[in-house]
Amino acid sequence: MPVLNSLATRLSLLFALVSVLLLGSIGAYLYHSLHREIAWRDDQMLRGRLERMEALLDDGESVAALRERPQLYANMLGNRDSLLWILDPRGKVLIEVNPGNLAVPTLPASREVRLDDVAGAVPARLAWQTLEQDGRPLTLVAGKLLDERRQMLSAYRLRLWLALATGALLAFLLGWGVSRRGLGPLRRLAEQANRIDVRHLDRRLNDAGETEEIGALSLGLNRMLDRLEEGFFQLARYSADMAHEMRTPLTNLLGQTQHTLRRERSAEEYRQVLESNIEEYERLSRMIDSMLLLARTENPSKEIPREAVDLGLLVEQLCEYFEGMAEEDGRELIHHASGSVVASCELLRRALANLLANALRHGRSGTPIRITTATTAERVELRVQNQGDVIAPDDLSRVFERFYRCDPARTGSVDSGGLGLAIVRSIAQWHGGEVGVESDAERGTTFTLSLPRVSRDAAAPPPPARGSA
Amino acid sequence: MRILVVEDEQKTADYLCKGLSESGYRVEVARDGYDAQHLIEEGEFDLIILDVMLPGLDGWQLLRLIRRRSQVPVLFLTARDAVEYRVKGLELGADDYLVKPFSFVELLARVRTLLRRGPPRETEHFRVADLEMDVLRRRVTRQGERIALTNKEFALLELFLDREGEVLSRTYIASRVWQMNFDSDTNVVEVAVRRLRAKVDDPYPHKLIHTERGMGYVLEDRA
Repeated sequence: MPVLNSLATRLSLLFALVSVLLLGSIGAYLYHSLHREIAWRDDQMLRGRLERMEALLDDGESVAALRERPQLYANMLGNRDSLLWILDPRGKVLIEVNPGNLAVPTLPASREVRLDDVAGAVPARLAWQTLEQDGRPLTLVAGKLLDERRQMLSAYRLRLWLALATGALLAFLLGWGVSRRGLGPLRRLAEQANRIDVRHLDRRLNDAGETEEIGALSLGLNRMLDRLEEGFFQLARYSADMAHEMRTPLTNLLGQTQHTLRRERSAEEYRQVLESNIEEYERLSRMIDSMLLLARTENPSKEIPREAVDLGLLVEQLCEYFEGMAEEDGRELIHHASGSVVASCELLRRALANLLANALRHGRSGTPIRITTATTAERVELRVQNQGDVIAPDDLSRVFERFYRCDPARTGSVDSGGLGLAIVRSIAQWHGGEVGVESDAERGTTFTLSLPRVSRDAAAPPPPARGSA
Repeated sequence: MRILVVEDEQKTADYLCKGLSESGYRVEVARDGYDAQHLIEEGEFDLIILDVMLPGLDGWQLLRLIRRRSQVPVLFLTARDAVEYRVKGLELGADDYLVKPFSFVELLARVRTLLRRGPPRETEHFRVADLEMDVLRRRVTRQGERIALTNKEFALLELFLDREGEVLSRTYIASRVWQMNFDSDTNVVEVAVRRLRAKVDDPYPHKLIHTERGMGYVLEDRA
């Protein structure tokens, strides 16, 4: 129901519901108290009447005398809903005052005063007692028709229902007014939020003069907007960079192929074009691969299996892999890694391979590359250090951004496409770790990959660390 | 050897058909799930290459169908490199998978591996022209002269000899020799092959290791 989607309507309905419950309980209590009170008074009156009759009989007035003047007695009772019977032991009516024309009741004999309701077309309340009168038992019965009482109670009930309905309606209306008024700041917040769109991401919610709750909400929303704005611009820049990066290989492919097709060429020439095309395709394919990997590691819900990774072994494998390349450049890979970490082996290998490739690409020929680990109780730090040109402080903070290159002129098919370090950071963050970089002329450039030793959701602790390899 | 290619994308199907035919296989192509079902039920194949995204019956349904009938090797192709895809395919009984885009050389290497499945060939001795390798004693000689190789150089040469005449892609070499299962953008493999050549080929007039530009490397006697 769309009406129920309004917070004000819901609140006022709740107000009304609460009022109905409250007023209803009070009404029910009052009604039952009244009912009990009236019944008690009636019973007292019937007992009194029986006592008076007993006194009358004891007073020497014979039953026969009473029988002769029943009207007198009826007048004595003085109203139209009182009943009276005096019955002899055989159930024969000696005296009867019966304005409701009830059937003569058959009642069990009782020395004590007894009370009971008589159901039927004309309901009544009866009190009776059996007495010895001149050596024979007589049953005195006093009664009261319940019609009047019922009419009175039903009128009272009606008034209660009316009060209840009026109360609920008033509560609803008042609640609606109060809620509308109380929710005013929320409406103003919505109006402000409506003014923020893709072209006005810099607008913020103004919470001056609003209540504490709304202030907290605005603050939270503003912080969210900060993050979204940042993410949005990163995404926009990423898309633009990506398109730009793809343009280079595509330009090569298009131009080269069209140029070749302009005239007949030898089989060897065609072959060369096709081979050159493959290189560009591979470059595009690697870019797509890298971007998919980034998408995968940036989506934490996608579970990638983790295991205990022996860092000594992993770095050794990587050193073997890059050994040839390093030696060609007169460089040595110095490996002092040890310890273990719970991580995705595949991703960690990739992150380290990217760091090593980066060190080989940017380090100075003939200088060594050092891979070391430092283990604390919570974290494992992997450091890759190389000698080379110092990275400027401005660049230092941005090297992990996608497609960021310290030297914009450096693009080539051997280049990592500007995603290598972004992948390292993404993998570190996926593990709940972080990356860092320092660069100075004395110690060279050091990239740090810092990972929690035991991942937050890993069940098994890592096995004991292996000694340095 | 008969291969069934189940692939709905026209160009992919065409080049797979051409390429595999040129490599000496008899190839049948199914363009959708129902065609494939028909062909699987009618014919006998030695290998099935299955695209997962198909009109009609999808690749997973076909895979179940195939596994109910036979143990023919199945190589599935997927454009989605999600772990659950790979796991699902392998659980349903596929033997191997390739993520698009893949290189044809890579596909051919997988096809050959699957077709000669069975107990792995443990060759102890290789001989191509005047190059000899004794695997157990880790000895390599050429024209009878002993050549000293590092461990990884030995592993690389053993891979080339085992796959004599087959073009091996750089990715495949990296994964087999160094367990690097991703397409590295460095020239590690080039360097490694160059260093191996310096020892095995350069001192001798008759070259055995050849570069197939854009595809990879092959070791064969092209006398």
